[in-house]
Amino acid sequence: MNGYAGSILSIDLSTRSITTIPTEKYEQWVGGHGMGSALFFDMVKNKTIDGFHPENVITLMSSPLCGTLVPCGAARTEIQGIGVQSLPIGWFTRSNFGGRFSAMLKYAGWDGIAIQGQADSRVWIDIRNHDVTIRECGELGLWGTDTWECQKTIWKDVAGGGVYGDWIKINEKGDMTTQRPAVLAIGPAGENLSRMACLIHDAGNGAGQGGFGAVFGKKGLKAISVIGTGSIRVNDPKALMTSRLWLKKAYSFDLKNLKSKNFTIGFQSPPVPMALFRFGKPGIGQRPQACVGCSSGCRGRYEDGIGNEAICFNSLFYYLGKTLLIQRQAADLINRYGLNAAEMFVGELYLKTLNDLGLLGQGKQIDCPLDFKQYGELAYAKQLVKAVSYRSDGNGNPHPFGDTLAEGFVRAAQKWGRLDGEQSDLKTGLLKFPHWGLPMHKLERSQLDWGYGTILGDRDINEHCFDMLRAFPTYFKMVGGELPPSENVVKIITDKMEPFQGDMKMLDFSTENMYSEHMIKLVTWHRYYTRFWKQSTQLCDFRWPDFLNLYGPGTAGATGIAEPIFFNAVTGKNFTFKDGIDLGKKIWNLDNAIWTLQGRHRDMVRFADYIYTNPGTTPSGYPEYMPGIKNGKWDYVITSGRHFDPDQFEDFKTRFYRFQGWDEQTGYPTRKILASIGLDYVADALEKNGKI
Amino acid sequence: MKPKIPEEKELSRRAFLKCTGTIVFAMGTSGYVLGECGAKETGSGIAVSDGYLVVDVEKCQGCISCMLACALVHEGVQSLSLSRIQILQNSFGKFPDDLTIEQCRQCEEPACVEACPENALTANAQFGHVRMVDKEKCTGCGSCFTACPHTPARVTVMEDETFNRELKSLKCDLCAHTPYHWDEKGGGPDGKLACVEVCPVGAIAFTRKLPVQEGKSGYKINLRDDSWVKLGYRKS
Repeated sequence: MNGYAGSILSIDLSTRSITTIPTEKYEQWVGGHGMGSALFFDMVKNKTIDGFHPENVITLMSSPLCGTLVPCGAARTEIQGIGVQSLPIGWFTRSNFGGRFSAMLKYAGWDGIAIQGQADSRVWIDIRNHDVTIRECGELGLWGTDTWECQKTIWKDVAGGGVYGDWIKINEKGDMTTQRPAVLAIGPAGENLSRMACLIHDAGNGAGQGGFGAVFGKKGLKAISVIGTGSIRVNDPKALMTSRLWLKKAYSFDLKNLKSKNFTIGFQSPPVPMALFRFGKPGIGQRPQACVGCSSGCRGRYEDGIGNEAICFNSLFYYLGKTLLIQRQAADLINRYGLNAAEMFVGELYLKTLNDLGLLGQGKQIDCPLDFKQYGELAYAKQLVKAVSYRSDGNGNPHPFGDTLAEGFVRAAQKWGRLDGEQSDLKTGLLKFPHWGLPMHKLERSQLDWGYGTILGDRDINEHCFDMLRAFPTYFKMVGGELPPSENVVKIITDKMEPFQGDMKMLDFSTENMYSEHMIKLVTWHRYYTRFWKQSTQLCDFRWPDFLNLYGPGTAGATGIAEPIFFNAVTGKNFTFKDGIDLGKKIWNLDNAIWTLQGRHRDMVRFADYIYTNPGTTPSGYPEYMPGIKNGKWDYVITSGRHFDPDQFEDFKTRFYRFQGWDEQTGYPTRKILASIGLDYVADALEKNGKI
Repeated sequence: MKPKIPEEKELSRRAFLKCTGTIVFAMGTSGYVLGECGAKETGSGIAVSDGYLVVDVEKCQGCISCMLACALVHEGVQSLSLSRIQILQNSFGKFPDDLTIEQCRQCEEPACVEACPENALTANAQFGHVRMVDKEKCTGCGSCFTACPHTPARVTVMEDETFNRELKSLKCDLCAHTPYHWDEKGGGPDGKLACVEVCPVGAIAFTRKLPVQEGKSGYKINLRDDSWVKLGYRKS
């Protein structure tokens, strides 16, 4: 089994049993998401349980590519299980983080971890190669620490008498490494079961979505530490090295010939931190920082150690902080306390709006202990983060505000009466949580792949595959500059979208095409590609797919060619790109079967009310542009400022389900489609539960 | 394959380091003098290497691709412990001290070569006098690990699957002996070096000029140019 460690670690915290599952049993799913879904399906007999139920199983999976030289494909860890963040119920969902964890897990001899049960005391898991121990938090005083302090404490413990900077002996057998263990930890937010609690690894690798930090907290699990000194076999070492150098030479940024110095998606981007601080990037000494095997780091470490590895939503949180330093310190705060940066970013602005409206504050209709006189200062952000993390007033005292807000912003708004009647904040759009009770990310009415993918799935997809089709045209229209003809761009991309290649109208984002069969194919391809190539082989979302590339032949990127080249060099499985798409289809169907068993029905698959009435506008006020056909010709068309039509969306759903082979009335998978992809046993389970 | 260092070897290494510290101090204050641990004088008769790896720790992005490439071309597997070059980093540290690159220095006076009781570690004339291990001769005694004056030691001892899991010494040979080398001409001072070739940012370079041996400055150099500065990073 080239690319695999060979075993999956199975831990039952209730019984404190540690067993192994041969990876071979699940090899048909390859790894990551596919393997996690299959494990979950087998291990959780009653899929209707709540995410906090002890029988909920959380899987943390690597892939055959993790820990290898595959560029931007060696570092991700896929987390799955029943989440506690979404509404109307916590869906079986996924999150994912980068860094070193999955690589280290494999060097230790494990392809993944499945955790079930609930400990009767607070524990952490200590993995040192094949030695796995469930240890008491009290031994090291871990419970109550923030995510960074927790990691540092474990590092010290694993080093024993050794000192980092030298070779460390990790066990009695004398296995040696210079590396620190990779630790995944929860902070106070997870300990106190905030539904916004996330998992943090190193300074800034966060698995934010799903509220898995709270699930860990409920299980009494503070952290998982892993250190490995072993090795992973690859099928063809020479081919792997040759392929890596080929991609570097033919498609990756060239410092002597930079074609862009900004962060972009794909391999052309040089290593620059994707820090989105309102005041720009810190102008101090820094380095780019990359995950294992990455060809172009997207984060930074700084000479003052503040804001290390903070990017994207981390850096957006506390957007209205008064200074860059405050914003960077605030980014550290939510990482240390272990909070979902996306929900805290959107939610924090909601609180400010309610305060500006005179509805929320000390002694107001919504009694809130936050000191808005300090708004913009670090003190305010600190009080807010503490209030959510400790379910308190943020100053060390119990308070219903923090207790309510820890449940998430939509649940809090419901409790505050803000979702009642025609002026509900989800009807007016004051509360920008458009799908599944989760915060907005991209403008779903504009960037349709994102919006449809999210509502037809279980979470903000956070898949940037087509993001450049919005980002570049919108930016260039705003600042001026020449854009490549949209028809050329669309052709390059759609030619790679096997098995729907050649259908250029898949990328026609005009209003006329919003509900078309072409759009159905786009959403379908996106689900299949990401379920396998991105979430199962664990290629990084920021670099894959490489559709457009200024260094590539005719500005075409490496996608379609590169994925199977690397996959086969490591595994020897002789996969084609289309094989991956087909397996993605199977995984997508398994996921929908799980959602169906949880209780999903097509009637639940709808956006928040404001999405059907409010024109989508960007925070900046500038219009968004995407490729589209205008007056019969390809152009870049304005895609913001429009809303979904409820009837047309329902019709779109019907046709989407038909295209998937699912029941049009319910959205349930059918036996026919499941049998056609080798999932008869899944169909049996659905039938047993009255879903077929 | 996992590096394994017997306890007694660790202890003797510590003792050596203590002595080595004395030597370095003496060199820094009163010229090139003998130390107190019986170290040899210069001019031990070992030819200098034809090449060296130099690195820029401020430019490194910490992706450890060099480590992965090193283990891959030498052992055909992916492993951090089997890499001859080691990147050590602290996610919470302050730049530039959050990260260091520790590569074999192909020392002018290679303590590892001199310490080998089996003459298994030699300056190999066939490959430009790179300090190389002959695994057929190596007994895995760990003398080289103990003798290396640098921290972490640039030589390790591992279980070698091709030798029935016997302990064997492992160190940088500038890719001279790489059964899984991707280029038909191979590595060595005149060939292609995996870590240099794979580094995405050019933080590792090869030089034929003997770096200054005292201290670290000869091996940890500035490889940043204007293209790097354009990305927002400092040049010096």
